[in-house]
Amino acid sequence: MTTMLTRQPAAPTENGAGGSARSREKRQRQSAFVYIAIVVCLALFGAPFLWILLTALATPQQLGEGAGGLLRFDNLQWNNFVEAVTRVELGAYFGNSLFLATLTAVLTTASSAIVGFAFARIRARGSKALFTIVLATMMIPQIATLIPTYMMFSQVGLVGTYWPWVLWGLSGSAYMIFLFRQFFAAIPLELEDAAIIDGCGWFRTFVQIFLPLSRPIILTSLLLQFTWAWGDYLTPALLLNQDNTTLAVAVTNAYLDPQGNGITTLQAAGSILYILPALVIFLFFQRYFISSALSSGVKG
Amino acid sequence: MTVLSTPPAKARPWRRYPASTFYLFAAPWILGFLALTVLPLAWALMISLTNFDGMAPTYRFVGFRNYVELFTDYPQALRSLWQTLLYTAVVVPLSVAGGLGLAILVNRRIRAVGLIRAVFFLPSVVPVVATAIMWRLVLNPDAGMLNGILGLVGIPSVSWLIDPYAFYSLVMVSLWGLGGGMVITLAALQDVPAELNEAATLDGANGWQVIRNVTIPMISPVLYFQIVTGVIAALQVLVQPLLLAQTSSIAMASAVPPSTHVYMVQVYQEFFTNNRFGFGSAMLWVFFLVIMLFTVVLQRSSRRWVHYQASSNED
Repeated sequence: MTTMLTRQPAAPTENGAGGSARSREKRQRQSAFVYIAIVVCLALFGAPFLWILLTALATPQQLGEGAGGLLRFDNLQWNNFVEAVTRVELGAYFGNSLFLATLTAVLTTASSAIVGFAFARIRARGSKALFTIVLATMMIPQIATLIPTYMMFSQVGLVGTYWPWVLWGLSGSAYMIFLFRQFFAAIPLELEDAAIIDGCGWFRTFVQIFLPLSRPIILTSLLLQFTWAWGDYLTPALLLNQDNTTLAVAVTNAYLDPQGNGITTLQAAGSILYILPALVIFLFFQRYFISSALSSGVKG
Repeated sequence: MTVLSTPPAKARPWRRYPASTFYLFAAPWILGFLALTVLPLAWALMISLTNFDGMAPTYRFVGFRNYVELFTDYPQALRSLWQTLLYTAVVVPLSVAGGLGLAILVNRRIRAVGLIRAVFFLPSVVPVVATAIMWRLVLNPDAGMLNGILGLVGIPSVSWLIDPYAFYSLVMVSLWGLGGGMVITLAALQDVPAELNEAATLDGANGWQVIRNVTIPMISPVLYFQIVTGVIAALQVLVQPLLLAQTSSIAMASAVPPSTHVYMVQVYQEFFTNNRFGFGSAMLWVFFLVIMLFTVVLQRSSRRWVHYQASSNED
């Protein structure tokens, strides 16, 4: 504050014309700087996308020629995408990923909504302490529990099956429980009173009054959980086998030539096919992702 | 927060909210928490006191020997912890500051600003596997884009994915995803009342002073949130160093160069290369305690510089 106060205040009225000309020049210089910075950042953030696309469209020979080889556009190998799908059973991996991500999204959303409703609306001894624990579990690193869970599941024969995803889904996610609780807590009491007067039990109140109101948050939860499960690498890598694993694992290790070396161009094409659904979902539902990012940030 | 003019009515008896209903509704999470969080952690604690190798049905209780070994007789593990702290200390400030910088950059009325923001945000929604594959292509010593560009100005080819450069590459890849922080910061910026900036400017503050003395204090809760989640994410980084170093079809912890051989890579190696489940579990518990320590320290420090709007006159 002191530095601000001791500064000479700008004198807007004195020699007005000269000052405004100078400030206009300054503003122009500033906006030129802003545009240059934006263009540079666009290049930095966008370049890897461009490069993977160029690699996916190249022949192995072009790749061998170095970076310049990728910039020859006379011989684009669109066929790489076809080969990426046919050479390995990409469709099957795609199906596995789709199944697991959908399963996770639906189960997690359903149970998080129910639990969030309980924390928002049903009073009981101990519920506040429990909610503190819910928030605290968000701080537990996922990986610190994943490896021990893997040890446990391997003892009871759940490794190699999709059951762990069912269990994780059914138990909900702390973050989603938090989002649902915040949303439900803001719904006016009168609505619930009316339902109770009409003779609804808690479950009917939840299903008929609260769920229909929470459509945006349900969609947010489905999208976030789906993209999270779609992008998850470590869990399928630890818990599944090569023949029932997800696309995330397959693109890292399935594209091999007979000698067992990775085929870079096909891997690039396969990776593009793998990220495409995530990007499409994001582009279509951008505002849901952003609004959920916001509500998490506002929590502070 | 509403002030009730009537005395609290007894018409809403607690019996209307039987505790059993709450516990019925909350049961999925409670059971999941016990079975999938508490039990695994307890299991790991138990295993950490043994010499279990992941297979042999007979294993012995060895007391705290794994922990003692970790701290006194295993420089590799301590070194990995040090690399992790270094990585966290570099990446978190850079990504929060970078997110703030980008947010300020795009917080203005210019053409196609929505598209620009989307491009900045997009990398943060790319799955980690694809991020690693993309960057392996960009950083490839022979056909990589970075070396291609450097070659244009006459800089000879650099092997970005091995030491001594692997650490910088990992930092670079991590920073590519800072658009997620940008979006959160951007929303916070848009909540800062314009009058505050105007008042500061009228008082003669230049652009940097406005940011330093008005903007940052106003959005400090959001910055704090990003630091906490960023620190926790950075401490447990694993997939990126693992996949960036991948040369064969299998991701091997032993292929990861020393400078990016972070703590979790070491844990992964103990479990899945060395089959030392007992020792790995001890490492996980130490990690768990380190995370808790960080959370508490951050919470303490936040009182000094995070300003929540509700209480503007704290200290």
